[in-house]
Amino acid sequence: MTLFSRKHIDFLLHEVSDLPELLKEEYFSGHDRETADMVLDTAFEIAQKEIEPHFVDSDQKEANYENGEVKVHPGVHGFVKSQAESGLLSATFPEEVGGSQLPESVAGAAAFIELCHSNSFPMYTDLLSGCVKLINSFGTTEQKETYISKMLTANWMGTMCLTEPQAGSSLAEINTKATPQNDGTYKIDGQKIFISAGDHDITENIIHLVLARIDGAPAGAKGISLFIVPKNNPKNCSESNDVKTIGLFHKMGQKATPAVHLAFGAEGKCTGYLLGKPNQGLPQMFKMMNSSRLGVGLTGLALSSAAYYTSNQYAHERKQGRIPGGNENVLIAEHPDVKRMLLKQKAIHEGGLALFIQVYSYLDWQKAGKEIEKYAALTELLTPVCKFYGSDQGYHSVNEGLQVLGGYGYTSDFPLEQMARDVRILSIYEGTNGIQAQAVLGRQVQVNGGAPFQLLRAEIEKTLSHLNDSCLFKRDFETSFKKLQQVTSTLLSKQNPTELLADATLYTEFLSLICVGWQWLKMSLATEQMDTEFNESFKQTIGYFFRYEFTKCLYLSEILLKENKITV
Amino acid sequence: MNILVCISSVPDTTAKITFKDDNTTFNKDGVTHIIGPYDDYALARAIELKEELGGTVTVLNVGTAETEPQIRKALAIGADEAIRVDAEPTDSFFVAEQIAAVAKENSYDLIMMGRETTDYNSGVVHGIVGQLLGMPSLSPVMELNIDGNTAKISREIEGGKEKLEATLPLILGCQEPIAEWKIASMRGIMTARKKPLNVRPAVGEGLTSVSSYSLPPEKGDCKMIPAEEAEKLIDLLQNEAKVL
Repeated sequence: MTLFSRKHIDFLLHEVSDLPELLKEEYFSGHDRETADMVLDTAFEIAQKEIEPHFVDSDQKEANYENGEVKVHPGVHGFVKSQAESGLLSATFPEEVGGSQLPESVAGAAAFIELCHSNSFPMYTDLLSGCVKLINSFGTTEQKETYISKMLTANWMGTMCLTEPQAGSSLAEINTKATPQNDGTYKIDGQKIFISAGDHDITENIIHLVLARIDGAPAGAKGISLFIVPKNNPKNCSESNDVKTIGLFHKMGQKATPAVHLAFGAEGKCTGYLLGKPNQGLPQMFKMMNSSRLGVGLTGLALSSAAYYTSNQYAHERKQGRIPGGNENVLIAEHPDVKRMLLKQKAIHEGGLALFIQVYSYLDWQKAGKEIEKYAALTELLTPVCKFYGSDQGYHSVNEGLQVLGGYGYTSDFPLEQMARDVRILSIYEGTNGIQAQAVLGRQVQVNGGAPFQLLRAEIEKTLSHLNDSCLFKRDFETSFKKLQQVTSTLLSKQNPTELLADATLYTEFLSLICVGWQWLKMSLATEQMDTEFNESFKQTIGYFFRYEFTKCLYLSEILLKENKITV
Repeated sequence: MNILVCISSVPDTTAKITFKDDNTTFNKDGVTHIIGPYDDYALARAIELKEELGGTVTVLNVGTAETEPQIRKALAIGADEAIRVDAEPTDSFFVAEQIAAVAKENSYDLIMMGRETTDYNSGVVHGIVGQLLGMPSLSPVMELNIDGNTAKISREIEGGKEKLEATLPLILGCQEPIAEWKIASMRGIMTARKKPLNVRPAVGEGLTSVSSYSLPPEKGDCKMIPAEEAEKLIDLLQNEAKVL
């Protein structure tokens, strides 16, 4: 069964996004439309061959922890191998470290295709890629030589280790210790929990990037440093580095990826290597976190897509109930309420994916060396919005999909049940959606005198200027967009930070609807090249979005403009 | 070992098939095209043989410029060069004639293709090429190994398998499990842009033209009968479907 629309992806990349202009840049000169299309074909082939066949089985046979060792589903081994051999793992990295300088927009679309077929498998390689990005950005020449080629060929995997039993969302409270040694290395001592892919039997070594506090470092977030802590000695992988798995968490979903409890230095023999500068661990780690946050949001949209295509097929096969005045049962897809649920799902991932590709193109412009500060600011502002929207709306979409299947959706005979379990974590990890909302309103909207917000406004206004006044949705959008600006200034005028941030989640929901609405308008400018079938479907989905989803802006603005005497 | 692999460009096997112009033309709007799945097996085995024995793999397609993405993909998978005969592949004989014309100008040890295409499924092109070139043609080949100048082949026959040996050059129609489909790597994708793709005119003319197409009749509704109600099933087969 098809779990995504290749036509919609092609439309976004080649008709809506900046990709055609980006491909003219020197940095991306190794690529053209044909290579971009072939990369997507490769991603789909890997998804069909190495991911989809294991979707159910890897859920039923979750990772196993026995005698201190973690064994994962054999399908994961094949997927990781394919991802490395195909070069998709290293595709976006610079050529000098073995990459192909593939635009992030294309790589993001390829990741979406894979994620539609299982959201657990690509997590291994996403984490690995994030680790390499950090080592490549902050590592010494020796560190780069030691780790990068081994990791980009998946001979070694990677993780990020932040959370501790007493410090989850409050990373400032971590207390894993790093004691300097005479040879310039550090002795690491502490425990980390919920480490995704933190242990497995895929590779001979796992490179953990660990947040820890150097002896005597300042208290709080300003005293946190980042360390490379290999599971085994990088010069001799048969020699343990005293990193032990002491437990496995039994999760409700994403069972193919183990979340483990790791003990570093239980025997006092764990060596860590400082990555970057002392006490700069958190800002450095956020480089990886931001890319992971985009990945989590994208996973939500991919689950929405997979759920939509599954429930849409079911709705076109299942006959139940009559249309008023009719004599015979009809396909449930013909009932207006089912149509609404299906359109909701479709609108979520199609509009959301457009926003993600927009952000990936901002990353690409930075790599191309164009207006780096501007595009970095827009990326910083929109990354938590993307994480928030993709994970939150992905959840709602899967829920609607399950509803379309009725009682069957609640059984393990259909994949919606698994998707509903898998999707739930997305609004929790990589910073809860509440944390994302606080980052948006507490920092990104205010930073540099509100400059990123003004940049976003200019981007949106550029799209509006191309729209004819007869555009059905332009006026609705402009009204809500003005409301957003009014709400933003009203909230920022509050002196009490608790009052400012109390409804940050609602504010971020409002902002995300504006951003996705902007993308629907942008898409509406590019449909000319598309065929009749695409345009019919597009009209219906954009119509749904502005009638049922975008109108939520009105009630959100009403709440946000009223004084909050309930939770403050 | 110089191998010519003939690939067809066919609609994705999940594509919705419709016709236009009074049902005289296949409607390509919105239809994704892929390398013929059986041709893909032939290509994968040819590349393995090249890696094992050295030599070159040339891909050949009879088609218009629209088929170039599939040709580039074959190059990305590992073929060294490509030839496109610039013409609509109107019928099996016409396609076979083009393959034979290219083969006569070059010296190939093997000419490989799928046992059939998945659009028109005639399954006769390899046989006609064999006739035109005066070479043995074997199909459907499920296993292929080369030992010097001899091909050791296993092919499917009615009710079983046949193992045989034949002297090169040969023409082979291939099917699974001759090799596993290959996935284009990033390196392959990027180098494919620089590999030669030569376009040449067709020889001869198509002998057939399409008068009209029609789709097979739609499947009727499926009735589910509980296992414990076998009598009801018999009744339906006798009195409703009238097949008993």
